[in-house]
Amino acid sequence: MADTTSSLSGTGSVPQTRDRTERRVLLSLVLAFVTWLIQAVGVGPVLNLLGQAVALGIENLFGWVHIRIPVLSAYQSLLDTATETLGFLRYLPWAALALAALFVGLLFRQGDGFRWAGNRLARKSVGWIVAAALLLLAMALSSLIDDYGKVGKVVAGFATRNGAFLAAFCLVAALALAVIGSSGILVTRAGALERVLVGNVTAKVAALPMILVAMGIFFGGTIWTIAYSFTNSKLLPKEHFVGFDQYARLWGEPRWMVSIENLAIYGVLSLIFQLVIGFLLAVLLDQKIRFENTFRTILLYPFALSFIVTGLVWQWILNPDFGVQHIVRSIGFESFVFDPIYDASIVIYGVLLAALWQGTGLVMCLMLAGLRGIDEDIWKAARIDGIPAWKTYLMIIVPMMRPVFITTLVIIAAGIVKVYDLIVAQTSGGPGIASEVPAKYVYDKMFLGQNLGQGFAASTMMLLSVLIVLIPWAYLEFGGKKRG
Amino acid sequence: MGTSISVRDLVLSFGSVQVLKKLNLEVADGEFIVLLGSSGCGKSTLLNCIAGLLDITDGQIWIKEKNVTWAEPKDRGIGMVFQSYALYPQMTVRGNLSFGLKNQRLPKAEIDKRIARAADVLQIEALLDRKPGALSGGQRQRVAIGRALVRDVDVFLFDEPLSNLDAKLRADLRVELKRLHNQLENTMIYVTHDQVEAMTLADRIAIMRGGQIMQFASPKEIYSRPANRYVADFIGSPAMNFVEGTVADGAFTCAGHSIPLDGYEFTPTGRAGGPAWFGIRPEHIQTGEQAEAMPFRTEVEVDLCEPMGAETQVWASFADMQFRFLVDFALDLKRGDKVSVGFDPARASLFHKGNEERM
Amino acid sequence: MVDIAPHAHQPVADGPRGKRPKPLFSLRNIVVYGTLLLVSAYYLVPLYVMIVTSLKTMEEVRLGNVFSFPRDITFAPWVKAWAEACTGLNCDGLSRGFANSVWILVPSVLLSIIVASVNGYALANWKFKGADIFFTILIFGAFIPYQVMLYPVVIVLRELGVYGTRTGLVIVHTIFGMPILTLLFRNYFTSVPEEIFKAARVDGAGFWTIFLKIMMPMSLPIFVVAVILQVTGIWNDFLFGVVYTKPDTYPMTVQLNNIVNSVQGTKEYNVNMAATILTGLVPLVVYFISGKLFVRGIAAGAVKG
Repeated sequence: MADTTSSLSGTGSVPQTRDRTERRVLLSLVLAFVTWLIQAVGVGPVLNLLGQAVALGIENLFGWVHIRIPVLSAYQSLLDTATETLGFLRYLPWAALALAALFVGLLFRQGDGFRWAGNRLARKSVGWIVAAALLLLAMALSSLIDDYGKVGKVVAGFATRNGAFLAAFCLVAALALAVIGSSGILVTRAGALERVLVGNVTAKVAALPMILVAMGIFFGGTIWTIAYSFTNSKLLPKEHFVGFDQYARLWGEPRWMVSIENLAIYGVLSLIFQLVIGFLLAVLLDQKIRFENTFRTILLYPFALSFIVTGLVWQWILNPDFGVQHIVRSIGFESFVFDPIYDASIVIYGVLLAALWQGTGLVMCLMLAGLRGIDEDIWKAARIDGIPAWKTYLMIIVPMMRPVFITTLVIIAAGIVKVYDLIVAQTSGGPGIASEVPAKYVYDKMFLGQNLGQGFAASTMMLLSVLIVLIPWAYLEFGGKKRG
Repeated sequence: MGTSISVRDLVLSFGSVQVLKKLNLEVADGEFIVLLGSSGCGKSTLLNCIAGLLDITDGQIWIKEKNVTWAEPKDRGIGMVFQSYALYPQMTVRGNLSFGLKNQRLPKAEIDKRIARAADVLQIEALLDRKPGALSGGQRQRVAIGRALVRDVDVFLFDEPLSNLDAKLRADLRVELKRLHNQLENTMIYVTHDQVEAMTLADRIAIMRGGQIMQFASPKEIYSRPANRYVADFIGSPAMNFVEGTVADGAFTCAGHSIPLDGYEFTPTGRAGGPAWFGIRPEHIQTGEQAEAMPFRTEVEVDLCEPMGAETQVWASFADMQFRFLVDFALDLKRGDKVSVGFDPARASLFHKGNEERM
Repeated sequence: MVDIAPHAHQPVADGPRGKRPKPLFSLRNIVVYGTLLLVSAYYLVPLYVMIVTSLKTMEEVRLGNVFSFPRDITFAPWVKAWAEACTGLNCDGLSRGFANSVWILVPSVLLSIIVASVNGYALANWKFKGADIFFTILIFGAFIPYQVMLYPVVIVLRELGVYGTRTGLVIVHTIFGMPILTLLFRNYFTSVPEEIFKAARVDGAGFWTIFLKIMMPMSLPIFVVAVILQVTGIWNDFLFGVVYTKPDTYPMTVQLNNIVNSVQGTKEYNVNMAATILTGLVPLVVYFISGKLFVRGIAAGAVKG
């Protein structure tokens, strides 16, 4: 009995040697693709910049005890020798592709002959061949496409540079599929190659935009900006490495220091006030009151408005000649002073006032959802225990809502670092530089000051501050679940 | 023995919907009462009204001879146990038990004494320093009961406390609850939709439907003399068989059959007769030799057999109505077999066709 | 043994009966409603100020205070804000920005929702190896300050030849709307019972058939939530508009800011407020129409983030 079952499962699965060969084909293909990507999209310079920065960092790691580890020069000379002697590396994609083809040949020998008729993967294989043909076609017609506007130019340029390699890549993949598809052994379980190249292929294609955006923009873009923050790029990005100069200059800039100070004041206060006020308002709305919907609509509508609208309205309300100060003075308090638009020392509190108006409704809504999510029996139990409502909130409900509080905190914090539009609209950073914030510093340096390097360094600092908030939270939120 | 809880003309409406309709309920001291009904019948609502968690529209509630209609839940002298346990998740078991007491500003020694006693009764001493998250469902429910216990009150209210547990655990805790009641001799009101729980636990069962109590009596009475057709149909598994016909001259007649009603205890209104439902429980129908001894006998043809383990449920038609009875599993019946069946009309129930009340 | 003899019902006695009496003006009610009314006033004042200022003549604005009600109502500021106000060399008012914003809004909303819903569906129901890694990066992307990605996107758009055009901004909105929308759709599709999906596969439906014939008709509400989220988000955007477009193609928010905060000429506060209301009108209308769905959108987008 036991014998038959084991032999049955044996016939269905791929023999180990073949499986190993399949993995080798796959690995060579991946190697070919990655090395091609590094050359085609210009990953090289970015990696080089990061490498130099890391080397410089290590070199100065013990600078405070006057110990320097000469890593940077070692890195430089290593890289120089590498580019000189390992120049053939630029043929690596082709070499890897040839290797993959070799392994496909091995796969063919390990199989039991080749059949096209009745080949399980014939259609998929043809798909790859068609892709290769299209690439070659684009290459051949590149001079023609070139005339079709800017997009045509981009496609044509891409095809001329990379068409041959990608077509070859597709052909090897097609060949591999045709070979494993003709083998009769693989009936019940797909091998490594088939799983990657065929299995779920529609879903993979459908998810392609996400993969491209995630890797290309979010991951790639972030790395790119970090790398170029170590250059002295001015109007255009340059690959001239200047170490941490941009950061040193950044922290020496009064304007940046004011920005950081403002962000700290604004951030801490708006975190506290939004959480406290938002929670209190949610508690008030949770008292089974009449007109709950009306109140909620009123408290949330500013959130639908843009920061620009918010900033402009508050600029007008706080206008010293017509707004609050003027009115209080006109009812008799002649010496009343409240000018958070033109008074540099309190301007950030004026922004805070507007931000609270705009954002507290959201916090209130999140908190209310959290309150409503609490088991009603808890309230009943507390009433029977005779615990007053305020004490129930403080001792039982708030601790139970900890996840909601943490999530809300992260959302507010991520929003705080990004704050830009509100400042631009309400104060334009003024008076002077009194209400500057880091996001505005980045924009001004990048797009107005023709000082890209400063902009990159400043935005990298912003990223760092967000990561400090984000990583512990992600660890708590997702790392904790795996353990539980 | 005095009255523990007295619900008088209780009305509860939400807007124009009347959820409880002029309801009356008298519970004696130390009684175990079960409120039984299908979902939406108002049983949990009634319990919440007694606890003071819902404001009633009209009527009065008395607990221990005191009018508590307007009293706060904490002042009513009750403890309550919920289906979802409703333990305070961030406090230890000890914290859960003591939180209410601390709030009453009881001396610490007294609190410790009460917790020790409750922990002893419920055998949760080992769990006192754990948090609810680290407890199993059964343990959590024990702690929830403990929270009611430490309040040192006369009346316990249970809102479907066992519904979230699996079948085995539910049976175990049921026995423990019964034992607890015997030990404490408190008044308990227990809401459930499970008739086995109701039958096994209750001194008296109140069967509810549409915000009214259909019958309030001991389990035995409810089973053997249901007050109306709804109760008869609701209680018992498999459900009671009903045949439509007329009662006249001490006999029930229906499509070609006449069943003599010797020995049936008529209610005062029932003796007059008229159109009626005749109800007989499947387990009261005898077959084969035992049927010979029964006052009423007939022969029926088998339609369908459902083996259920110890017994087999047989469907047959009688007087153009489908009805069922139980036979021993060893008896091998097939579709089309003729079986002689018989029963004692004294164990049957008769209901008026119009108002469905017992005759 | 307990006494189980039936008790006679006791009649209703004197004393408390029926509803617990609640005074209308209890301390609790005064505190709750008083606070809420006060807070509501704080929230409504800016809207009121915007409206009354936009209906005053400039003389009256200079005389009175921002809260006073206009003596003679004039709609001239509105007309001027819409058709005549100047930004730089263009003097055709906000109408140009409005047209740009609509031009950007419609394709951005459609495109981002199509892409994100298909992504979310692929992630929820057709899990493949590595999908979670990309998804995690995507979600991190929602929190990373956009400033870090601003310039790389400039390069990409320039390479594609759409930098400074409305098409470029559509692409940008599609990219940056992806994290939150994908999350929204993935969470929703995950909550659909898997049996429905399995039954459809047994019936021989493929990736696209299941999506178009089964999932999409089932998830109309979440599509509405996504539309609300995107319409308000894209309409209110300022940063991307100012970075990726040129004066001719500026969306409404950027143009509004340029009109109001321009340093040339005398400040016409009534025109400014009219322009501000006009810009805020689209999201406000969406908000008041959508009501609960708006709340659901931000709750779904935020709490699960």
